Amino acid sequence: MLKKEVSGEAIAKSMFEMAKLEVPIICIVIGEGSSGGALAIGVGNKVFMLENAIYSILSPEGYSSILWKDPSRIKEAAEKMKLTAKDLYDLKVIDKIIKEPDDEDAFNKICKNLRKEIVSSISEMKEMSKDEIVEHRYQKFRNMGEFIKI
Amino acid sequence: MIVDKIKKRAPSAKNKPSNIDIPVGKWIKCDECGEIIYIETLNKNLNICPNCGHYFRMHINRRLEQIIDKGTFESFDLKLETSNPLNMEEYTKKLKALREKTGLEEAVECGTGKINGENVVICIMDSGFLMGSMGVVVGEKITYAIEQAIEKKFPLIIFSVSGGARMQEGIISLMQMAKTTSALTKLDKAGILYISVLTDPTYGGVTASFASLGDIILAEPKAMIGFAGQRVIEQTIGESLPEGFQTAEFLLEHGFIDKIVERKDLKNTLYKLIQYHK
Ligand SMILES: [Zn+2]
Repeated sequence: MLKKEVSGEAIAKSMFEMAKLEVPIICIVIGEGSSGGALAIGVGNKVFMLENAIYSILSPEGYSSILWKDPSRIKEAAEKMKLTAKDLYDLKVIDKIIKEPDDEDAFNKICKNLRKEIVSSISEMKEMSKDEIVEHRYQKFRNMGEFIKI
Repeated sequence: MIVDKIKKRAPSAKNKPSNIDIPVGKWIKCDECGEIIYIETLNKNLNICPNCGHYFRMHINRRLEQIIDKGTFESFDLKLETSNPLNMEEYTKKLKALREKTGLEEAVECGTGKINGENVVICIMDSGFLMGSMGVVVGEKITYAIEQAIEKKFPLIIFSVSGGARMQEGIISLMQMAKTTSALTKLDKAGILYISVLTDPTYGGVTASFASLGDIILAEPKAMIGFAGQRVIEQTIGESLPEGFQTAEFLLEHGFIDKIVERKDLKNTLYKLIQYHK
């Protein structure tokens, strides 16, 4: 019972604790990541995404029913929302797209790619002090979203 | 009957959540008891129905008048506009119309002010501006306010009212939750007091970020507070939920908030809490 009504607080607390961790954090979106549940475990120094994964504010179904009061506009929502790995890379929400080759050996290749990126990110952050790691993550999220000065 | 005519014309409080500043009419109808109230009277009564005690949602300026000592509020005046990351055409037009209609720059106003002489950094949200939703401008203004509280060593007070993250800005709105939350870790480390005040309604990404992270969390009576709406949860889990499970009273009982404070007592309660913390 309690979990249901305070899931909002759980998300907030999870992000809060993640933001303070003094070790490098690498987050990888491997399937469908959406809303606060995804972000609750998404406050990383590096955020990767598999090429065909999606990451969004809400499911396209939820999005079209909330924004347009019309759940049938799912396809349009999915296009407008910018939820693909390429979109999110362009929006600077993620740092790297992990290629997903379309062949028999895909799984092994993806794992190999991932391993390579994880290792190189770790070695990149290895020399950083605890404070630098926390500050690196802070600056990443501090600069999320562009705005115009009027 | 004149009253009947007024009843027909009076905008319902639901349609006009907080824009009591706007001269759409001099009267407003209480959603709770149906009483027709002169807006002047309502404003003088802290936007509380004199008949049944129902709390109307407050315009930022009314809230400032109530909480901050007269003449002491100084807005950070950031003058920001969203970059419209999803290139939604209608959205830009909507924002422009809302700015003109409400006289507000965005769904939150932030600045410094005094509460019975005590310096604070204060942020106040407004449900009349796209349901107080958080996009990049709201996220940036709140984050900036948190950073100012750290720099000036002033306690931080945020009055939340929000439908959650702003759909029109997609994932960028979601990221504002992480941005504001990260800033609060610095405030926490600096040992600065943060009091979060939840007002009706506080939902979604705002509940799931800064609104839930106060050192002290206060709420107005009967405020509805949650992450997802009751209907959405019921549909998702396939169970019905007890009545009133998202009210401030229920959440107080379950330890999520620290105190329910009547609107008339809010200023003094905030003052006392700041005093204790000194
Ligand atoms: Zn009433």
